[in-house]
Amino acid sequence: MNPIARLILIVLYSILGLAAAGRSTVQILERFNEAPVPYTLSAISACLYVLIAVALWRGWHTVALVGTIVELVGVITVGTLGYVESSWWPDETVWTGYGSAYGWVPVLLPIVALWFLVRARRAALVAAPHPATADPA
Amino acid sequence: MELYTSVVYPAVLAVCALLVAVGVVTLIWVRAHRVLKWVVGATYVAVLAQAGFVLLGLFTVDGISIPTTLGYFLATVALLPLLGIGRLGTPDAAAIDPDPNRPVLAPDQVARVDAGAAIIVAIALAVASWRITIILGGGS
Repeated sequence: MNPIARLILIVLYSILGLAAAGRSTVQILERFNEAPVPYTLSAISACLYVLIAVALWRGWHTVALVGTIVELVGVITVGTLGYVESSWWPDETVWTGYGSAYGWVPVLLPIVALWFLVRARRAALVAAPHPATADPA
Repeated sequence: MELYTSVVYPAVLAVCALLVAVGVVTLIWVRAHRVLKWVVGATYVAVLAQAGFVLLGLFTVDGISIPTTLGYFLATVALLPLLGIGRLGTPDAAAIDPDPNRPVLAPDQVARVDAGAAIIVAIALAVASWRITIILGGGS
C-alpha cells in the first residue's frame, strides 16, 4: 500500500475515532436513556475507527479491509434508515445523514480506504509467486 | 475570558489557516517542509494556551458541561501528536522497530505526509476551537 496514503488514512481514522469517541462518551454519560440505540451505535463506530487506524498502522490488511467494509455498510444503512424510518432515531449518530455532521467524511473515507486496500491486495497477489509455477526448491 | 476570545481563539484560527496554507505549499514544493515545522511549533503554543483557558473555564464559567468541555480539551491536545506523523516513517524510526509492516518513507514522502496531516489536523482543530469558544460563551 502506498505509504503516504496509508499514513494519511491513519490520521483521518484517528481523528474520526477521536471525534466519535468524544461524542459517544458525552452522549452516553449525559443522556443514554433518551436514545440508547443511536448512542451505542456512535460508540461502536468510534471503536471501529480506532480498530481500522490500528490495523492500518500494524499492517493487518484483512482486518482493515473487513473494518472498512463494515463501516461503509453501516454508514449507508444508518444513513438510509435515518431518512426512511426517522422515528427509529430519537437522536443523531456519527453515521446519520451519511455523516453529514462530519462533512460526509464517514461515507467518503471508507470508499477511499477500500480503493487503496483493494489495490494493495491485488498488487500483493500479482507479486506473489503462483503455486503452480513456483520453484518447489 | 475576553483574553481568550480576543487573542487566543484568533491565534488558534490563524495557525490553523497557516497550517493549511503551508501544508498545500509543502505538498507542491517539499522544501517548504522546514517552514511547516515552524508553523507546527506555533500550533503547539497556541493550542496549549487554549488548553489552559479551557481548564480555567471549567472553574470560572457557570453552567458549563464538564464532560463536553473536557472532551474538547482532550481532543485538541490529542490532535497535536498527529502533526509531524511522518517522523514515524523515517528510516531511523523504522530501524528501532522490529515490525516488518512498518512504513519506511523517503524524505520527500515524510514531507508530503506531514503536509497532508497538517491540512487535516488544521481543519479538525479549527472546528474543535470553534466549539470550545461556544462552550466558553464567546461565540454563537
